[in-house]
Amino acid sequence: MKFITITKWELKNTLKSRKFMMIFVLQLSVLLLMIVVFNSFVANIESEKGISITPSLNGFANMDVQDQSGLISKYVNPEIISVNNVTSYNTSILRTKNGLTTGFLYVPGNADSLIKAGDTVNMLVYVDAADPKMSVVTDEANNTAKTIAQSYSSSLTKSANNQNQTANFTQETTGESLPLQIIKKVMLTILLFLPLLLFGNIIIDSIVGEKERKTGEILVAMPLSHSDIIVGKSLAVALTISLQVLIWLVVLIIFGFKIFNPVSVFLFVFLTSIPIIGITSVVAAYSKNYKEAGIGLSLVYLVVVGFLIIPALVYISRKSFIANISPMTIVMRLFSGDFIPLPDYLLCLGFIALVSLISYGIAIKMFSRDDITFGPRPSIFRILFEFLTLKFFRQ
Amino acid sequence: MASEDVMIKLESINKSFGNIKALDNLNLDIYRGELLGIIGPNGAGKTTTIRLTCCILKPDSGDIVVDGSSIHDDPITIKSKIGYLPEEPNLYERFKARDLLRYFAELYGVPKDQIEPRIEELLELVGMTHRSEDRINTFSKGLRQRISVARALIHDPEIIIFDEPTMGLDPATAASIRNFIRHLKGKKTILLCTHYMEEADLLCDRVAILNKGRVEDLGTPDYLKSKIHGDVILTVKTDSTRDPTAIKDQITQFESVGTVKFTDGIFSISLKHRNEIASIVDVFESHVVTVNTQEPTLNDVFIHSVK
Repeated sequence: MKFITITKWELKNTLKSRKFMMIFVLQLSVLLLMIVVFNSFVANIESEKGISITPSLNGFANMDVQDQSGLISKYVNPEIISVNNVTSYNTSILRTKNGLTTGFLYVPGNADSLIKAGDTVNMLVYVDAADPKMSVVTDEANNTAKTIAQSYSSSLTKSANNQNQTANFTQETTGESLPLQIIKKVMLTILLFLPLLLFGNIIIDSIVGEKERKTGEILVAMPLSHSDIIVGKSLAVALTISLQVLIWLVVLIIFGFKIFNPVSVFLFVFLTSIPIIGITSVVAAYSKNYKEAGIGLSLVYLVVVGFLIIPALVYISRKSFIANISPMTIVMRLFSGDFIPLPDYLLCLGFIALVSLISYGIAIKMFSRDDITFGPRPSIFRILFEFLTLKFFRQ
Repeated sequence: MASEDVMIKLESINKSFGNIKALDNLNLDIYRGELLGIIGPNGAGKTTTIRLTCCILKPDSGDIVVDGSSIHDDPITIKSKIGYLPEEPNLYERFKARDLLRYFAELYGVPKDQIEPRIEELLELVGMTHRSEDRINTFSKGLRQRISVARALIHDPEIIIFDEPTMGLDPATAASIRNFIRHLKGKKTILLCTHYMEEADLLCDRVAILNKGRVEDLGTPDYLKSKIHGDVILTVKTDSTRDPTAIKDQITQFESVGTVKFTDGIFSISLKHRNEIASIVDVFESHVVTVNTQEPTLNDVFIHSVK
C-alpha cells in the first residue's frame, strides 16, 4: 500500500503547483469558449433544412409508397429510388423503424379528388433520422411533390383557373438528423473526454521528470516495488483528471447541455482515464527526456483519439454492437439517455480492463529494467522484437 | 572476523552495460559496524557496486546478501535497512526541506509519532533547522548535500552508503560532511565510495581498491601503505656532477634500501626503516641541496594498484 503515499504527495504537489493551476484555468477558459462556439454552430445547423450528405444511386435507397390513387408513385424517379407499393400503413412504419426500408411515403386515398377540387394534398414521409440514406428519400419525395404541383398548375392555368394549388408533403422523423447528432453528441463527448488527453503532460512530468532531474535513483532505492511507483503516480494523475472532468461536467450542465445519467457518465470517463494513463506511462517509462516523450505521446494519442471517436461515429450511423468497445460510444449513449444492455457495458469494461492490464504491465516492466531506466537503452525495435517473442516479460 | 559478523556479502557479481563489463566476478565482505571505503579510478565499478547493493540495479549473475537477505528474494527488506546518499544531491526542487524529509519518512514507513521528532533531530544534526521551511530550489549544493544526508538517515538505517559525499563541495562543507560520517562511525555499517584518498585514509577501517570491476586490494589503510613502499621515502635533491648510476649503486648497498629512482636531480629512495638515513645522506657528501622524508600515502597505494 506504499503507492498511496506516493499518490498523496504527488497529488498534493500537483494541486499546489502554480503551473498546474494555470493549465487548469486555461483549460476551463477553452471549455467555455468551445461551449459558445458549439452553441452557435448547433443553432445554425438546426435552422437549415434538407441537408443531403449522401449520393443517390439506383438501389442505394428504397421507399415504401402507399398511394391508392396511383397518382403520386408514377412520378417517383426509379433511377434514384426503388419503390415498393404497399397497402399497410402500420407495417411500413415498422419497416422504416427496423431499417427494412429507407422511408415510407403516405399519400391520402382521395388525393386525386382533392387535386381536382383545387385543395391541398398533404403527403407524409416517415424516415429514420439516424439512417444516412434518409436524405435521398426526403429529397426525392420533395422533388416528386414539386413535379406534381408544377404539372397540375400548368393544366389548371390552361383551363383559366386562377387558383394556385400546390401539393405539400410533411416530413416526420424518428429522431434528430444525422449531421445534428454528429455535432451534438460527438462534440459533447469530445468535450467530456478532452481532460483525459490534456493531462498526459502530468504523468510525463511525474515519470520522465524523475529521470531528467535524476531523482529516480533515490526513489528506486526506497523500500517500494516498481509497481508501487508507477501505480502511485498514475493514480494521482487519474484523480486530478477526475476532478477536472467533474468540474467540466458541472459547467456543461449549468450551460444547458442535456446530460442524462451524469454519475455514470463521470464514472465511465474516469474509468477511461485509467488505460490512457497506462499507455502514457509506457511512453514515459521508455522515454529518456521530455522531448522524446512529447513526440511519442503525440503519435500514441493520435491512435487513442482515433480509437475513441471512430467507433462512436460508427455507432451513430449503424448501431453496431462492436462500436460499444469504445468508452466514448457508451458515454454518448449514457448522456443521450439510451437504454444500454449489459453485454454492451461488458464489452466496453472488458476492453478497458484489458488495455489497463497490458499497459501497466508493460510500463512497470520497462521501469524496472536497468537498461531502459539507467541505460544503455535498447532501441524501440529491439523492445518490439522482445515483446513479440515474449522475451520482454522474461527479462 | 567471523562469518556471522558479515553485514553485506557480495558474491561473484557480474554486471555489464551493453558491451561494457562494469563488474567482473566481484567478491567483497563488509562487516557489521565497520566503515569500508571503496576507491578506484573512473569506471572501476564503484557506483555500480553501490547501486547493486542498494537494489537499484540487478546483477547479471551472482548474489548480494545483506543481513541475511538476498537481493533476489527480498529487495524491499534490504532497501529498508539502507540509507543511500547518491553522488549528486538531486532532490525534489519544489519541496520544502521539512516536507521532503516527511515524504521520505513516510515512504520508509517511519511510525507517524516518530516522524516529527526525527526530522527535528536530523535538521539539528546537519545544521539546517533555520532553513527547514525553505524550498530545495533555493539551496546551494552544500545545503542540498546536508539535507541529503538527513534524508538518507531519516529512517535510522543499519547500513549507510555514501557515494562521493564530498565531491564538489567547498572545504568547510566537505569537513562538516566528514564529521557526520565520523559521528556515525562504529554505530552503523558504512560503505563510503570516494575519490579522495585522504578522506578514505582518515575515515575508513578498511579500504577496497577497485579496478576494472574487480577488487585489486583490500585491507586497512596502514596495511595497504606498508605493502607498497615499506615505511619511509627519502628524497634527496643534489647538485653533484657525479654519475647518478654510481651514486645509485652506492646507496643500494645499504640494508634498509628498497628501490632507488633518479629524476631531474632528485633521488627517491624507499627505506624499510629510518636507521640508515644519516649514512645514506653522507653518500652525497657536500652536494645535498634538500633532504625530505615522506610517509607513503593511500594515494601512492592507489596509483601503485591501478597502474
